[in-house]
Amino acid sequence: MSQAVKKEGLRQSMAWLHTWGGLWACWILFVVFITGSLGVFDEAITRWMKPQIPQAGEVRGMDDGVDRPLAVRVGQAYLREHVPSSHFWGIGLPSDTDPAVRVFWQDEKEQFQNLRLDATSGEPIKASTERESEGGHHFVHMHFEFHAGTAGIWLVGFFTMAMLVGLVSGVITHKRIFKDFFTFRPGKQQRSWLDAHNAVSVLSLPFQLMIAYTGLATFYMLYMPAGIETHYSTDDAYFADLLTQPTPREETGIKAEVTALDQILISSEKQLQRPLSFISVEHPGDSSASIVTFGRFIEKTGEYRLLGDGGGQVFFDGVSGEQQDFQAPGELRGGAAQDVQSVMRNLHFAAFGGLTARWLYFICGLAGAAMMATGAILFMVKRRQRSLNEFGARTPQVYRIIEVLNIGSISGISLACIAFFWGNRLIPLGITDRPEWEVISFFVAWLLTYVHAAIRPATKAWIEQLLAVAALCLALPLLNWLVVGDQFVSYLQRGDGERAAVELTAMSIGLLSLWTARKLWLKNRQKVERKTPQPSLNTAKVEVA
Amino acid sequence: MKPTSPSRGRILLSRTAAAIFGGYALTSASVIFLGAVLPLPKSQAILASSLISFAVYTAAIIWVFAVQDNRRAWLGLLLPALVLAPLGWWLGRGMV
Repeated sequence: MSQAVKKEGLRQSMAWLHTWGGLWACWILFVVFITGSLGVFDEAITRWMKPQIPQAGEVRGMDDGVDRPLAVRVGQAYLREHVPSSHFWGIGLPSDTDPAVRVFWQDEKEQFQNLRLDATSGEPIKASTERESEGGHHFVHMHFEFHAGTAGIWLVGFFTMAMLVGLVSGVITHKRIFKDFFTFRPGKQQRSWLDAHNAVSVLSLPFQLMIAYTGLATFYMLYMPAGIETHYSTDDAYFADLLTQPTPREETGIKAEVTALDQILISSEKQLQRPLSFISVEHPGDSSASIVTFGRFIEKTGEYRLLGDGGGQVFFDGVSGEQQDFQAPGELRGGAAQDVQSVMRNLHFAAFGGLTARWLYFICGLAGAAMMATGAILFMVKRRQRSLNEFGARTPQVYRIIEVLNIGSISGISLACIAFFWGNRLIPLGITDRPEWEVISFFVAWLLTYVHAAIRPATKAWIEQLLAVAALCLALPLLNWLVVGDQFVSYLQRGDGERAAVELTAMSIGLLSLWTARKLWLKNRQKVERKTPQPSLNTAKVEVA
Repeated sequence: MKPTSPSRGRILLSRTAAAIFGGYALTSASVIFLGAVLPLPKSQAILASSLISFAVYTAAIIWVFAVQDNRRAWLGLLLPALVLAPLGWWLGRGMV
């Protein structure tokens, strides 16, 4: 037996798995954690990015000044005229963050399309003069799919599994886990990075386990389809059985007009006692058409729940308009298993404890990001002092690639996130597909940070990128003031704490980046100073000799 | 530890593949089997076993790297998978 297959102890094999599995996963996971933490405040970010929408708390309840039956007629008229025989229609009603009607449909290639319509005139809103924006949704989408659809969800799922394995192998590796938690030896290079990695990981371990597991559970149907595939003919049949609700019927091919959806809306809202957020129609134009209406999710301050906070649903026959089923807001179906899944989802979405829970999630999410970053940096610090030669002759090149990936995936993604805010204020108004341009500006900025990291020495690249993050974060209110005429002081004067908090948080992160850059710069200068006198001493000795 | 020597590299590749694909196969089989035998209505049993599955998968991956024997790892994952999946399918037929 060669040395390669010699068995090691459990702790050693877990340490190996934690080091290497962790290294390849930490870059993607850092991005997932940073964007997920920002995504906790997606609504606040959306409001900051769209100055045209009212501040939080101004629009609420049944009488929010929107003529919803008219909005539904507008949506239905558009869909009937343009896509009379699609497989799916959806109408999203005006909400606090978007006064437009959004229509959705499935085109001939089974692709989902959507469009925003003016809620009264029904005119499509395309290149509007408003500040159209992807808003905070950008961070949410980066967090769970990297703007790459189903492939992106799989990618994030794969690395979330890697995170679970990393957490378990990490716990096995650190035998003195609680002792380690109380140990911090600052200013000692590798030891300090290890202590920081241990402390931040152990402190936030329950959150990290919870957030990884509940993230996977949210997409259980996609990630673990085997059970449903084996025991049911379709996903719809599974859902109908689980939630005891009507199954969408097979298409008949007999043409039939969809019933008036404004009447469906009025009837649903009366029964649900709350405004609708969405109406979906399966098989519109066919005699098998069916309608589901969804009540708006209302978060009541001070009355938080992990379960039973759903908006309710009403089911109708799509042609006759006859009601088939009614699910009251907060009604639970699907038994204990579904309750567990709902609780897991609500835990993941921080949808249960108002602002306090969101801030806790934001901080714990950043702790998760710090866990990835300290781990990745520790890997390199350890090897910068003494190469472990894992890749033979090519070890220096592989180390260099790891270093570049570390820089672009840690300071680079941070730079891209704040660049996205700048893109929102700098991209000209009225340009077609403005939200897409914002997202493109994010990806271009991110890509450039890898290029920058590749052409600059590592320490300089870290310092320069951190300084760039600091500059963009700290100057954000100035940019806002120059472009829109607002900044955090004027927001606060108007009582718009949400928008002000976006800028204040950005500035805090800017200060943190500045502090880190300065620390790195000082450390680097010390090292250079320590190094430079040595050769002169040596030469002096040589001269004496 | 030198992953660059060819034998070591190939061993690691096979071990990683066992963890990812073998582990996933065993996990899927466990969902099919538990979906049929858990004392719950079928849909709920499937949902419950799907929710547990991520812990099963994690344990399978950790186990592969702990045993450090690729033959044992592949057999230990695929044999139970090949028993559990058809058995679960057979037990679940016509059950509502």
